[in-house]
Amino acid sequence: MESAGELSYMENGESNKSLMGKETCNNNGGVIRTAQNRSSSFMRKKSDPMLVSTVRFQMLRQFLSNLQEVILGTKLAVLFPAIPLAIAADCYKFGRPWIFALSLLGLTPLAERVSFLTEQIAYYTGPTVGGLLNATCGNATELIIALFALYQNKILVLKYSLMGSVLSNLLLVLGTSLLCGGLANLKKEQRYDRKQADVNSGLLLLGLLCHMLPLMFRYAAQPSGISIAKSTLELSRASSVVMLVAYIGYIIFQLKTHRQIFDAQGDGEDEDEEKAVIGFWSGFSWLVGMTLVIALLSEYVVGTVEAASETWGISISFISIILIPIVGNAAEHAGAIIFAFKNKLDISLGVALGSATQISMFAVPLCVVVGWIMRIPMDLDFSLLETGCLALTILVVAFTLQDGTSHYMKGVVLCLCYIAISACFFVHKIPAPLDQTIVNLELNSA
Amino acid sequence: MASLQEPWLLENGNLKGCSKEIRHGRTAHNMSSSSLRKKSDLTLVSKVRFVMLRQFLTNLQEVILGTKLSVLFPAIPLAIAAECYGFGRPWIFALSLLGLTPLAERVSFLTEQIAYYTGATVGGLLNATCGNATELIIAIFALSQNKIDVVKYSLLGSVLSNLLLVLGTSLFCGGIANLRREQKYDRRQADVNSLLLLLALLCHSLPLLFRMSGASAALTADPTLQLSRASSIVMLIAYISYLVFQLFTHRQLFEAQEESEDGDGISEEEPVIGFWSGFIWLVGMTAVISLLSEYVVETIEDASDSWGISVSFISIILLPIVGNAAEHAGAIIFAFKNKLDISLGVALGSATQISMFVVPLCIVVAWIMGIKMDLNFNLLETGSLALSIIAVAFTLQDGTSHYMKGLVLLLLYIVIGACFFVSKMPLSNGGIDTIVGV
Repeated sequence: MESAGELSYMENGESNKSLMGKETCNNNGGVIRTAQNRSSSFMRKKSDPMLVSTVRFQMLRQFLSNLQEVILGTKLAVLFPAIPLAIAADCYKFGRPWIFALSLLGLTPLAERVSFLTEQIAYYTGPTVGGLLNATCGNATELIIALFALYQNKILVLKYSLMGSVLSNLLLVLGTSLLCGGLANLKKEQRYDRKQADVNSGLLLLGLLCHMLPLMFRYAAQPSGISIAKSTLELSRASSVVMLVAYIGYIIFQLKTHRQIFDAQGDGEDEDEEKAVIGFWSGFSWLVGMTLVIALLSEYVVGTVEAASETWGISISFISIILIPIVGNAAEHAGAIIFAFKNKLDISLGVALGSATQISMFAVPLCVVVGWIMRIPMDLDFSLLETGCLALTILVVAFTLQDGTSHYMKGVVLCLCYIAISACFFVHKIPAPLDQTIVNLELNSA
Repeated sequence: MASLQEPWLLENGNLKGCSKEIRHGRTAHNMSSSSLRKKSDLTLVSKVRFVMLRQFLTNLQEVILGTKLSVLFPAIPLAIAAECYGFGRPWIFALSLLGLTPLAERVSFLTEQIAYYTGATVGGLLNATCGNATELIIAIFALSQNKIDVVKYSLLGSVLSNLLLVLGTSLFCGGIANLRREQKYDRRQADVNSLLLLLALLCHSLPLLFRMSGASAALTADPTLQLSRASSIVMLIAYISYLVFQLFTHRQLFEAQEESEDGDGISEEEPVIGFWSGFIWLVGMTAVISLLSEYVVETIEDASDSWGISVSFISIILLPIVGNAAEHAGAIIFAFKNKLDISLGVALGSATQISMFVVPLCIVVAWIMGIKMDLNFNLLETGSLALSIIAVAFTLQDGTSHYMKGLVLLLLYIVIGACFFVSKMPLSNGGIDTIVGV
């Protein structure tokens, strides 16, 4: 692996290398690898530097090994060709549903690579900044899709996709992990630390309260006919600030004061490379580049969702709540299942619950605040059916996780809850034009 | 006790598995209703001279008179007579209800006897399906007469009665009787049941929310129906995996406590009647239950009119109390003896069985019969169900008990009963559009 060492040495000089040596080779280094990073690390494969080392020029060799690490370093790399295909489809005007499908496929490996790059950069910046990076960029795909939907004023797609991410993490990822873990470890006792699950459940319940207040407010004011759209908006914006404060408190709790609750289990893993494989600046530039490509594909996705829905005959709510999150979460999902097989439930729970908390306490209020700045009336009122599903989901998950043990029946129930909710949104057909603020429409017709 | 062994020896030859395995067939359900049995006194019968006649009479005595509830048996012929001679319809209703009580208990006894011959697993399966035979038969008759609201109300009432009334009185009586002792139970069984009940709650809430958030009743009726049918299949899958969990992989969580009961004389490991006679009795009793259920379902509106009580109150409160009477008594008796695992197994197991098996089965049967039954049980009923399930899940989550828990559950039931007493909703036969305006 001398080419990798050379690369990082050339880019960062000596001091950083010694810094790497000290910080990454002891316990602190293990803390950088949050649950999310470790789960998606299963999708990586060790680069084979043999082919590259035959190239003669040193700069070229470093460049190619860099390329190989980043582009081919994952089993999902087979989906990378979907990106140029999607761009070609948009330029040459293929069917819009094709653009939608290809963009979705292209997003899957990109999401995983962004997580990989974040982890690599975290080796250089230290554990705290690394944890912060992960906390903000961990769900970069969902956040970027949401911001584009906000920009194109498709508020319903935005609300649905964010809520679908939360539901997918809480029910699908967690359910399949508990189910597979339970079936694989039938004779063993499966335990996990319930304190982490408790903190996440508490935050999710706070998020639920902030969603239900505007909803109940709207229903309470209906008979008197007063127009409360403005008050609902103000309430939503205030609640978003509250949720962001809670999220900051959660990050301080997780990264500084109560770190020991959240440490990924430190037994020797067989993927224990403590050193970064690419340099800081190359990682940074790759990250910027990939984020731009994600932004492009997200724009395609948001732009073509109605066309895909009409052509395939599936409702927009189903596509936004079920299909898009499954794609966005695919890498984490696979990792969570693999860790559950090995009876390391703390990591699976960390992935699933951590993502759900991040989306509901960070991505959603961030969208409300961005909408505030852009003068778009986005509020926290996700309408009755969605909020009801969210409430029941959080209730079921909080109840499931509160005793600290697990068996496959818990996974079965969570998966079946997800199937019931998917069936509900499959038959739910909302009216067509999405570009208006449907919030007002619902107010008038209800 | 030679005369006791002769009947089944004649009928069955070698008994299959007269060993520890049989004890596993005695689920909580069976053990609780066994407390209502009494040992047959065979001295009277042994005086009869002919052997065949003696065996027949022994059999008869075991089955008909083997329970303390047999005093209610005369209500059955009275009910049939009332129907044939055209007495007042409320009388038919009341007599049928009274007749159903001992029949439900006898069916459970016969199921247990048959389970001795078929082995533990099939016995457990038999219990899981026939354990609430009365409620199932009443529901199917109401469906066939297109009284969808009666079906929904009676099944909901069964769940509420098991969760609040049976559990509440058991915990209350057990707490009062064991004031100085610590009462513990295994919370894992309660957790699995609560989880399944929460899944059922989700499947009930989705059609309700769907209907409430949708545009108009006409537009949302069809999707609600499709959603209900899909959810029913989901619930049946969950129930099947629950059976696999309970009977195969995690059996140790659910076994009834094995300490010997102190001489109440019910721990006989041998069946008292033969397999075929048990089977014939079972078929016969099920036929009589069907007949009485048909009377009940037909005369419910007339009883409601003449007594001045709403149909919802009769369906939600009265019918389930009658159907559950035997289990109820058994659960209380076991709570007195500080065997809370059995009481919980009875109450929670029944509630889970009704909400995850009987309700979706009715929807599938309605689908086959072309009747539009969905899972939308309306706001008031679904709200009561939600709060009951949450209260029970919360109550049972710590593994200990005292009388205050029972008192709270009982008072919850009384409040819900009062609510349905005063609510006089019109009974609509379509069953689709009784939405409370929001």
